[in-house]
Amino acid sequence: MSIEVNNISYSIKDLQILRDVSLKIRKNEVLSLLGPNGSGKSTLLKIISGDINPKSGSVLFDDINLNNINIIDRARIRSVMSQSQDIIYDFSVKEVIEMGWLEGKEFITEKFDNALYKVGIECEISHLFDKSFNQLSGGEKRKVHFARTLIQMYNRDFETKSRYIMLDEPTANLDISHELQLINILKKKTLEGFGVFIILHDLNLAYHFSDKVAFIKEGKICAFGTPDEVFKEKILTEIYGLDVSFDNSTKKISYY
Amino acid sequence: MLNGLDRFFRYISLKQLIIFNVLILVLILTMIVGISKGSFDFSVLKYFTGNLTTLEEEVLVNIRFPRVLLAAVVGAALSMSGACLQGLFRNPLADPGLIGVSAGAALGAAFSIVMSAEFFPDFLFTPYLLPLSAILGSAFVISILFIITRGFGFEGMTYMLLAGIAINALAGVGIGILTYISDDAELRGLTFWTMGSFGGVTWNLIIPAIVIILSTIVWTLRISRKLDLLQLGEPEAYRLGVDIKKLRFDIIMSSAIIVGISVSLTGMIGFVGLVVPHLVRLFGGVNHHYLLACSALTGAILMVNADLLSRILIQPAELPVGLITSAIGSPFFLWLIFRMRKK
Repeated sequence: MSIEVNNISYSIKDLQILRDVSLKIRKNEVLSLLGPNGSGKSTLLKIISGDINPKSGSVLFDDINLNNINIIDRARIRSVMSQSQDIIYDFSVKEVIEMGWLEGKEFITEKFDNALYKVGIECEISHLFDKSFNQLSGGEKRKVHFARTLIQMYNRDFETKSRYIMLDEPTANLDISHELQLINILKKKTLEGFGVFIILHDLNLAYHFSDKVAFIKEGKICAFGTPDEVFKEKILTEIYGLDVSFDNSTKKISYY
Repeated sequence: MLNGLDRFFRYISLKQLIIFNVLILVLILTMIVGISKGSFDFSVLKYFTGNLTTLEEEVLVNIRFPRVLLAAVVGAALSMSGACLQGLFRNPLADPGLIGVSAGAALGAAFSIVMSAEFFPDFLFTPYLLPLSAILGSAFVISILFIITRGFGFEGMTYMLLAGIAINALAGVGIGILTYISDDAELRGLTFWTMGSFGGVTWNLIIPAIVIILSTIVWTLRISRKLDLLQLGEPEAYRLGVDIKKLRFDIIMSSAIIVGISVSLTGMIGFVGLVVPHLVRLFGGVNHHYLLACSALTGAILMVNADLLSRILIQPAELPVGLITSAIGSPFFLWLIFRMRKK
């Protein structure tokens, strides 16, 4: 039960963006992807989620090649949260969340209401449901998009073996308490059987809550393993090009 | 997959359902008034009791009925197309008239009026060449607009309107050239057609038009949910399982068909497609199940009324209906721009 990324390469014209990337996103695990700006993190997420095709290599969802899964079935296996565009018309928060609810053979209102109630409590946004989405603050908008990403995986009518959530810097715009809240929800999801793939910038956050961490630099994976395996001063210093120190007693990473 | 009706009632709220039903009622009443009033008035009820004179019956069946029906269907078509295009471009200023889609249809229509005698002198389907080339003209313009404005994001709005100006001007040039090279008979046809009105329509042209427009409208309602998802942005909609290319093609084709047929039958009628979706959003919300259905109904109501006004304002003469819709629509357009500035 995993997503296997095998020898992915991707380039635009002469610019090599990803080189021979291999990863494994397992069920019940959080895999964090870290790396400097422009190292190919978002491109990798786009390839794994199926937005774009790699130039070579393959992505397997539970041993099935992603290319052989149609886009409707993909939506039932994985949900993606990325930097969203503005919504021009005045949808209510509830309507925006509902966009993540996938249609099955029939629409069972109770099921949806139930799921809506649950994500409302989980993400602490129940009080926002009837508000206009465009009048929310940046952080609140993020939380609503996060709730939409979660509810997409709530409809269990579909026979899928496993479910994955992929997030591209979901904590941008969030204050530290909401950042922690979001991370804890994701952590809880892994206990329910989800696999989580997340792009992060915050080294401490990644260290403390990831099951696996991958570092990417210039399109190459340069370290992949459990946090304790890869959070070494030498590796970090090499990746970011500045002195990073790791305090073994407090488990804190500092770079200034 | 849900069937259409289930889905429609699932996604609209109680308030929206009430608005929907009220609109249906108002449309029926408006059409009855529209049929009864005009250069001379009579009661529609008499038709059913059989108390009409031969003249009255002639007016009713061959002039009023087709005219009011056509006005309703064209109003619905233009508004629906406006709502769809506003959704597809994620841009509240899209209107088939403003952005040049109607002009494209007009150029296509003018082309067929002037050229059909040259190329297809005794062609059996000559009457249908006009709508057909109008459809091609509008499909061509929508595709061009899409290529020009893609990748602009929210600023695409300005570029689309600018592109619209250019396309309108180009179509004007085309129609001008066609006018210049046309002979007397063609010129008469062209002038007659350009003035645009619901008068002078006959059943044999209207029936296919109504059938095609109505079925396209019903068919288009099925993509409401996808249009909703599209508002999250194309990548997000794709991840939620929406085939973007197919959706885009569907909307371009359905808009081209209904605008092309409308323009070919009635000439260019501006601003309906801009104003109506805005009104509908203002009253009940923005989700596309509600928006598309109620835009079609509201557009029909407004157009029947506009046509009625055009008939009774300066009796016994008749105002072009496009004049009335533009008189209402252009101040509205200015108000929209004013409101955006304040934001």
